[in-house]
Amino acid sequence: MQQTQTITGVEPRTRNWLPVINALYYVVLALLLFGFGYYLYLNIGLITLYLPFLLQAASVTVGISIVSMVLAVILGLIGALARLSRFATLRGIAIVYVEVIRGTPIFVQLLFWYYGVGQFLSNHGFDPFTIAFNIMTVFQNNSLVPLTFSAFFYGIIGLSFAYGAYLTEVFRTGIESVDKGQTEAALSVGMSSRQTMRHIVLPQALRITIPPFTNYFISLIQDSALLEVLGVAELEQMTGAFADPLIDPNQKLFVYILGALIYLAICYPLSLLARYLEGRFGKAYQTTGDKIDALKADMLDSDMLGKQVVSFAEDEGDSE
Amino acid sequence: MSLIQQVLPFFLIGARNTLIYCFASFPLALLFGLILALMRSSRIAWFSSPAKIFIEVIRGTPIIAQIFLIYYGLGAVLATYNLSTLINAWTGGIAILAINYAAFEAEVFRAGFLSVEHGQTEAALSLGMSSEQNFFRIVLPQAIPLMIPPFVNDFIYMLKDSAILTVISATELTSVLQFFVFRNSSQTIPLYALAIALYLLMALPISYVARWYERRLRAAL
Repeated sequence: MQQTQTITGVEPRTRNWLPVINALYYVVLALLLFGFGYYLYLNIGLITLYLPFLLQAASVTVGISIVSMVLAVILGLIGALARLSRFATLRGIAIVYVEVIRGTPIFVQLLFWYYGVGQFLSNHGFDPFTIAFNIMTVFQNNSLVPLTFSAFFYGIIGLSFAYGAYLTEVFRTGIESVDKGQTEAALSVGMSSRQTMRHIVLPQALRITIPPFTNYFISLIQDSALLEVLGVAELEQMTGAFADPLIDPNQKLFVYILGALIYLAICYPLSLLARYLEGRFGKAYQTTGDKIDALKADMLDSDMLGKQVVSFAEDEGDSE
Repeated sequence: MSLIQQVLPFFLIGARNTLIYCFASFPLALLFGLILALMRSSRIAWFSSPAKIFIEVIRGTPIIAQIFLIYYGLGAVLATYNLSTLINAWTGGIAILAINYAAFEAEVFRAGFLSVEHGQTEAALSLGMSSEQNFFRIVLPQAIPLMIPPFVNDFIYMLKDSAILTVISATELTSVLQFFVFRNSSQTIPLYALAIALYLLMALPISYVARWYERRLRAAL
């Protein structure tokens, strides 16, 4: 009795409706996700028919991406060292390489490598398919060489050269970001310049380059879909090959959605990883002012991050 | 040489169409991007969550998959409703470029707004400005100079990504290039060199201006 009296004495607070509205949204979202699941279930026949092949093609996509990335890292390191070298010719070559690659579409570069260079070389007696076929014949396994081996070969070369140029800039920025005093200290304790680079500068530079490196790897996976036009049997090509002959437009749309979902399943975890690495390996900031300064510097450094720019503002937006 | 003289007018038309694609798509991408960025930073889940999902899905899938999905997949579905005239190489291409880049521009906008210190907003609000006044008079004018370099960077990326529209037989530079490559397949390298030169001619000046601006702004900060 006494309690009710005290409560009536207090002015009733206006209710904050925001959590209720948001909770309502999550209910609707759950329903929509359920609906999407049901949509997938309705097309279970198509999934059981095509998904194994699509997953196999996805493994081809991942394989191509990894091989290209390894080659691109090698090219990028060579490029960055050439870019920072004492010799003007090496610097010039590196600059031209980076500018030409960054100024032209990867799509056109791939066409150039396959239809331009590839055709030219095969007219002059160099055909990657024949060579691989002959080598595998020695091992009595030549049926393992796919008929589109030349397209694989030039596609991987094209992707490696393209991403080598992007990584050149990433590595250069990383190397330049290591304090000059480190090099001076290393040289003054008697290390050779090669030892300095190998033991002092590169390990510190690599740490800074890890987040943009992951971003570029995601871009590389997505750009490997462009090998579709060369006829390489990777995920996008497979998706198109299955979807094209379907007459029912809804089924056609569904196969394309399925292909895109597999790309999402590959790329989204990687982008979460990139964000985690950003927090792990990125600089630590004392104050929000420092963080804002870093964000500003990041926005002014288009060489470093490419299209996947400033994903590290992520955690801050949620807390606001 | 005569080959290049022969094809140059067509290549120039292709380059012009590439520019038309980009200049039509980029403002749209900026507009959608701004809307997405504002939605994403909203406290109401009805706005923020769809924007987040949209951005993640677009950034997580290749643009060529989106082109195929929209142009061939959605186009086929639309055709059953007699709406097939709605999607052609121009509308489809511009729409896909705009949708794809909206997701990237949204992140740039958001980073730009985050780069303006919260103290500024607090000061503006305590002076009695409404939140719109604060946004348009305090936050936006400080954020825009910082957002210009990433925007220009993304514009160059769009210039390059528009080449992928070849797969829906858009009439931009790369389609023209492929057309002539398949017509005289004996001499392909000069054609590629010409196309690459044209792309460089479009991209490099913009990129140099952007870098000059970046340097100036970095010095000013």
